[in-house]
Amino acid sequence: MEKRHKNALVVGAGISGIRTALDLAQQGNTVELIDRHPAMGGLLAQLDYQFPTNHCGMCRLLPLTRRDEGSQYCLRKGMFHENIHIRLSCELKNLEGEAGNYTARLRQKPTWVDPDRCVGCGLCEAVCPSEIADCFNEGLSDRKAIHLPVPHAIPNAYVIDLASCTRCGECEKICPADAIQLSQSRRRDFQILVVDDELSIRDSLKEWLDEEDFSVDMAASGGEALDMLGKKPYALMLTDIKMPEMEGTELLELAKTSYPDLVVVMMTAYATVETAVQAMKMGALDYLVKPFDPQTLIPMVVRIFQDTEAAKDLELQVDTVVISTGTTFYDPADPRNLFGYGIYPNVLTHIELERMLSHTGPSQGQLVRLDNQQQVRKIAWLQCIGSRDTQVHADYCSGICCMIALKEAILVKKMTQNSTDTAIFYMDMRTFGKSFQAYYDDAKKDGVRFVRCRIHSLAQDRETRDLVIQYVSKSGEHLTETFDMVVLSTGQRPGHQMKELSDICGVDLNPYGFIQPQPFFPAATGNPGVFVGGSATGLKDVAESVIHASAAGLNASGVIWSHHRQAPLTAQGQEAGPVMDETVRDVSREPVNIFTVICSCGHRLEQEVDPGHIMSGLRDDPEMVGQLVIDRLCTAEGWENMVSALEKVDANRFLIAACHPYVFARKIKTLARKMNLHPSLFHAVDTARLFWSVDSPAKEDGSTSGSRVLQELFQGATVLKHTGTDPIMPIPVTRRALVVGGGIAGMTAALSIADQGVEVDLVERDKSLGGNCLWLTRTLEGDAIGPLLNDTISRIGQHPGINVHTQSSIKDITGQVPSFFTVIETDEKQLVNRSHGAVILATGGSEARTDSYGYGTSDRIMTQKEVAAKWGGDGANPADLGTVVMILCVGSRMQPRNYCSRVCCPTALKQAQDLRQSNPDLDIYIIYRDMMTHGFSEAYFTRARRDNIMFISYEPEHPPEVETDQNRVLVRVNEPTLGVPLEIETDLLVLATGVTPQLPDELSATMGVEKDGNGFFLEADAKWRPVDSLKQGIYACGLVHSPRSVTDTIATAQAAAQRALSILSNETQYSGQIAAQIRHSLCSRCERCIPACPYVARWRDPEDDHIHVNDMMCQGCGACAVVCPNGAAILEGFTGKRMLGVIDAAFQGTTVKEVFLEAEK
Amino acid sequence: MAEFNPIIIAFVCNWCTYTAADLAGTSRIGYPENVRLIRVMCTGMVDPQYIIKAFLEGADMVLVSGCHPGDCHYINGNYKARRRIKLLHAILPTIGIERDRLKLTWIGASDGIQFARTMQELVVQAKGMGPGSGRPEIMT
Repeated sequence: MEKRHKNALVVGAGISGIRTALDLAQQGNTVELIDRHPAMGGLLAQLDYQFPTNHCGMCRLLPLTRRDEGSQYCLRKGMFHENIHIRLSCELKNLEGEAGNYTARLRQKPTWVDPDRCVGCGLCEAVCPSEIADCFNEGLSDRKAIHLPVPHAIPNAYVIDLASCTRCGECEKICPADAIQLSQSRRRDFQILVVDDELSIRDSLKEWLDEEDFSVDMAASGGEALDMLGKKPYALMLTDIKMPEMEGTELLELAKTSYPDLVVVMMTAYATVETAVQAMKMGALDYLVKPFDPQTLIPMVVRIFQDTEAAKDLELQVDTVVISTGTTFYDPADPRNLFGYGIYPNVLTHIELERMLSHTGPSQGQLVRLDNQQQVRKIAWLQCIGSRDTQVHADYCSGICCMIALKEAILVKKMTQNSTDTAIFYMDMRTFGKSFQAYYDDAKKDGVRFVRCRIHSLAQDRETRDLVIQYVSKSGEHLTETFDMVVLSTGQRPGHQMKELSDICGVDLNPYGFIQPQPFFPAATGNPGVFVGGSATGLKDVAESVIHASAAGLNASGVIWSHHRQAPLTAQGQEAGPVMDETVRDVSREPVNIFTVICSCGHRLEQEVDPGHIMSGLRDDPEMVGQLVIDRLCTAEGWENMVSALEKVDANRFLIAACHPYVFARKIKTLARKMNLHPSLFHAVDTARLFWSVDSPAKEDGSTSGSRVLQELFQGATVLKHTGTDPIMPIPVTRRALVVGGGIAGMTAALSIADQGVEVDLVERDKSLGGNCLWLTRTLEGDAIGPLLNDTISRIGQHPGINVHTQSSIKDITGQVPSFFTVIETDEKQLVNRSHGAVILATGGSEARTDSYGYGTSDRIMTQKEVAAKWGGDGANPADLGTVVMILCVGSRMQPRNYCSRVCCPTALKQAQDLRQSNPDLDIYIIYRDMMTHGFSEAYFTRARRDNIMFISYEPEHPPEVETDQNRVLVRVNEPTLGVPLEIETDLLVLATGVTPQLPDELSATMGVEKDGNGFFLEADAKWRPVDSLKQGIYACGLVHSPRSVTDTIATAQAAAQRALSILSNETQYSGQIAAQIRHSLCSRCERCIPACPYVARWRDPEDDHIHVNDMMCQGCGACAVVCPNGAAILEGFTGKRMLGVIDAAFQGTTVKEVFLEAEK
Repeated sequence: MAEFNPIIIAFVCNWCTYTAADLAGTSRIGYPENVRLIRVMCTGMVDPQYIIKAFLEGADMVLVSGCHPGDCHYINGNYKARRRIKLLHAILPTIGIERDRLKLTWIGASDGIQFARTMQELVVQAKGMGPGSGRPEIMT
C-alpha cells in the first residue's frame, strides 16, 4: 500500500473543492483533491452560463500571484497546480486519527482505461456496441459504454461504464495505446473457493469458472473450507447455506472474523432467501438463488473480480480534511410523479434544460421540443419541485432555483431573439443575494412572465403532446395554459453517500441528510480537523459556494499551521517557485539552437500529414538544429523516452509539439531543472487541434494539413527565439495585516489571520468592539449571540498578535500589495504609521432609516432594531399587546434600496416567535412581498404559519397604508387570497427597513476600492472573486460586502482572511513569467498606460519620475503595451517583436505568391 | 482553375476563443485549414500594427476573436479591442483594404461548435471577396 503525506485532503472537486484546494495550495500547502466522478468540475461542468453575467468566467478563480505554479487555462476544462494532486474516480473510505494527523484511506475506482496511456483517440468508442443514456447530458443523448465522462475535460481519458459494458473486448483489441485493461490475464491469480455439500453443484461451478480462467478450489463442508482458507489466500468464497455440519452462515461468520477482506457470496435455495438476506447483514456481499445458470453466476464473479482488482487502496497522511461534496437533486419521477417526468417527453428538469441550452449539449444549443424537434415557442418553469414541500420531507428551500429559473428564462429569451414566451410559476421569488433583485428586474424587463401560484400537476394533450397547466389566478379565475415545454425546478438533496461519508469523517447531518455545521461557524463540523465547504451544507450559488470554500480553506490552513508552525509556510512552495538564476545556464550569448520533438500521437501524425514535409520544412531554418519524433508523449513511457533522448542533444531551446501542452507544464519544469536550463527555453505547441480538427475537404490533401502543423511549429520556434530568460525577482511581503472595522466580521478576520502567525492592526471607529452584535440577541435558530461576542472579544484581548485601535480611523493608505503604508489616527488624535501586506475592509452596516408608514408619528411604530432593544432583553413584557403587525421590505427591493436585505424576513419570524412565546394570545400579522427564508430557515416559516401567524402578501404597486392618531395605529392592506381590503388596528407596527452599508467615500477613495450602485463594496467579480477587491490585496467581509446573517458574515470574514493569508503566509511573492515591463529609456511619461491597466498596477513615481508596474498586481493582459506609443511598455512573453515574428510564421509553408497565382489561373 | 484558397489570420484570446478552438479539436469538429490561429492573452493586446502586418503579409481576412462582452478574463480587454477594430474599420479603406476583411467576433470557451461554424462562414465570405488587395502590391 502506498503511503504519502499531504497537508490537506479535499473531498469533492467541484467549484468549492477547487477553490479550497487553490487557496491552500497558494499558501504553499500540499493538497490531495479527490472526486468520486471521473472528471472535475462537479455540477458546473454541465453549466455553460451563470447569472448574473450569463457567461462563465470560472478562470477568474485562478491564482493571481505565483501564477506560473498553476495553469493559465480554462478552469472548466482542467486544473494543473504544482501543489495540488488530483485523483479522480476516487473515494474516501476511512479516516482515522485527529486534527493534524489523520490517516485517510482512499479507494481508486476502476475505470478500466489507464489514464496515463489513453490518448483519447476515440477508436474504442467507434467499435463499442453498447449504447446507453449519457449522464453528462442528463440522459438527453446517448453514449457508448466506453466514453468520455466530460467531453471538454483535459486531460481526457476514456472510462468504461461496466454496468453497460458487454465485455465484448472490441475496444481492448483496437486500442493503439494498450490503455484498456479488462484484466483477462489476471484472472488466474483470483482464487475462488466453492463450498457445497453436493458434488454435482461443486463440479458444475468449477467447470463454469474454469472456463472463464479463474482458479477454483472446492470444499465439501464448512470445516474443510476453514482449513483451506488457512492455507491459501482466497479472494472469493461461494458457499451454500444449508449444509449438514456447519451452516453457511456460521462459516461466513467464522471466515469473516479471521479473513475480513474475503468476499463471500451465499448460494441459497428459494426457501432460505431470508437467511441469505440476513447473511448479507453479517458481511456477505450478495447471494445467488439456486438453481442458477452460468449467465447469472459469471457476470457476478467477474464484477467481484474487477472490483477487487480495482480496490487498490492507498493510505494518505493528512493534517486536515475538507468535505466539498456538494448536493444532488430531487428526482421528480419518484415517487408521486405529479408532473409526468420521464413520461411526457417535453417535461425536463432545470439541469436538463441547461444541457439543452449548451453548445456541447444534445441539441447543440437549439431549444427544441423533444418529441418532434420543433422550435419551442412557449416554455414554463415550475418552481419548488421537491422543495418547500413537506409531503416529500423537504421543509426547506433550495436557495438558488429561483435564480436558475430567472437565468434560464433570460437565456431562452436571448437565444431565441425574444420570440419565445417564458413563464415562471412560483410561490416566492427568492432573490436574496447581492445583485439578485436587479437581475429579477431585468428578467421582468425582458418580458419573462411571473405567475404566483403553485401548480399541483400537469397533463399532456394526447394529440399534440402539448403540456397543459391549470391554475387559479390571483383574482380566483380558473385558467388553463398550454406550453411546448415545462421545466421542473427540482430542489436539492444530499450528496451521494452522504451518510457513509459523515460516518467516516465523524460529522453530523441535519434531519434532511445535509452536513450540519456548528452554530455560527459554517465551515466547522463536530470533528475538529474536518471542515465543510460549498453546497454540502445546502445548495448555494457560485459566489456563496466560493465564500464558504475559502472559509473552509481558512479553517484547514489554521489546523495545518498550528501543527507545523512553519512561519512562513512555504518551504516547499519556494522550492517549487520560479527557478532562480545562479543555477541555470546563461544562454543569452549563445546562438539559438532549437531542437524539436514531435509527438506522433499513436502514429496519427503519419496518417494525417507527411512527416517528411514537416521535417524538411523545419530544416529550412538553420536555427532548428534537430528533430525527433516520439510516440505518445502524453504517456509516462513516451515522456521518459524523450527525456533520455534529449539528454544527448546539444541545443539550448526545445520545442515540443503534443496534444494539450498545458498538461506538461510541471513535467517541463522538472526537465528544465534537470537540464540546467531556464524553463522558458522550453515551449510546447498544441497539435491536438491540428490533427483532430482537419476539415474534411482538406483531409484528402495530406500536405496541406502538414503546413498547418509546420506553421504552428514555426510560431513556437519564434516564441523560443524571442524568449526572455531573466529571472523572476522575488517581491518581499510585509507580513502584517490591517483590518478596518471591529464588528464580528473584522474581529473574526483579525483572529483568523493572527492565529496563523501574522500580526494584525484592528481599527475600530467606536469605543468598543462588537458592532451590530452588541444589540443582536439570538439567531432564528435560537443560538445566543452574547457568548459568541464575549468569547471573540476576550480572544482578541488576549491575542499577542492583534493590536486593537479603538476610536481610531484610517487617515490614509498608500502603496500597493504586498506593502501598503497606512496612517491610523488614534483616539488621542495621534497619527500612527504602519506597513501592511493586505487590508481587510469590515466597516459593516446598520439598520436603514425610514420615514414611510408613519414612522416617527407614533411610538407604537418601531423598526426591528427598536423591537429587539425593547423586547430582546428581559426589560419589557409584551403582555399588554393585543395585536402586532409587521411590514416587510420597507424601502427594500424598491427605491431607494433596490436589494434584498436578507436578514429582515428571518428577523420578523424570530420576533414573531418570541413575542408569541411570551404572550400566546397575541395576534400577529406579517405583511410581506416574498418571504426570503432560504435554505433550512424555511422550516421556521412553516412553523410560524402553523402557529397561526397571519401572512399577507402585497405587491410594491399596492403597499399597505398606515393611519395613526393618538392611541391607535390602523393598517389597511388588500388580502389577496380573500380579495378583500383588511383594516387591522394594531398596538405595535414593526417596520423591516433593511440594511445599509457603512463605507464612507473618503475611506473607499483612499483604499482604492469601488462601491456598487447601492453603496456596498464592489467585488472584483461577483461570482468568482466575491470577497476580493479589484485592487489586489484588499478584501471585504460582513455587512459592508452585502447584507447577511451573523453566520454568513463569519463565512465572509474567514474567506477574506484566507484570501489575505494567501499573500501574507509567504515571505516573498512572485509574478508570472508573462508580465508587463517598462523600458524606461523609451518612456515619454505620457501616462497612457496607467488608465489602460485594468488592475491599477501602474503608477508614476514622482521621486524617480518613472512609470512602475506592480508585479503582483499585473496579470499579463498586455493592454498597456498596445497603448504605449513608444514601445516602452512591453508584455514579457508577448513582445511586439515576437508577435510580428509569430505572424510571419503563420504564413510559413504557403507563400503568398502561390496562393495569388493560383487565384489568377 | 484552382479554387482560390484564402488565408485568414485569427488573433484569438487565450481564455475564450482559443479554448473554443481547442474544444472544437477535442470534439473532433473540423475547422478549415485556411484559418491560422495566433494565440494572444487578450484581444485587448492586439496592436493595430499586428492586424495591418497580417494584411500586408498577404492575409485575405483578419479575425480578432475574444470573450463575450462582460466576460473578459481581464475585465475589459475585449471592449478595448472593439473600439480599436471600429477605428481600424474607418482607417483600413484609406490604405486600400476593404473594411469587411477585418472581422471581430466573440466566441466563448464552451462554443466549440460555434467556433467551427464561424470559421467556415468566414472562409465562404473570404472566398466571395477574392484575394486581398495587400497581395499584388507585395508581389510586384
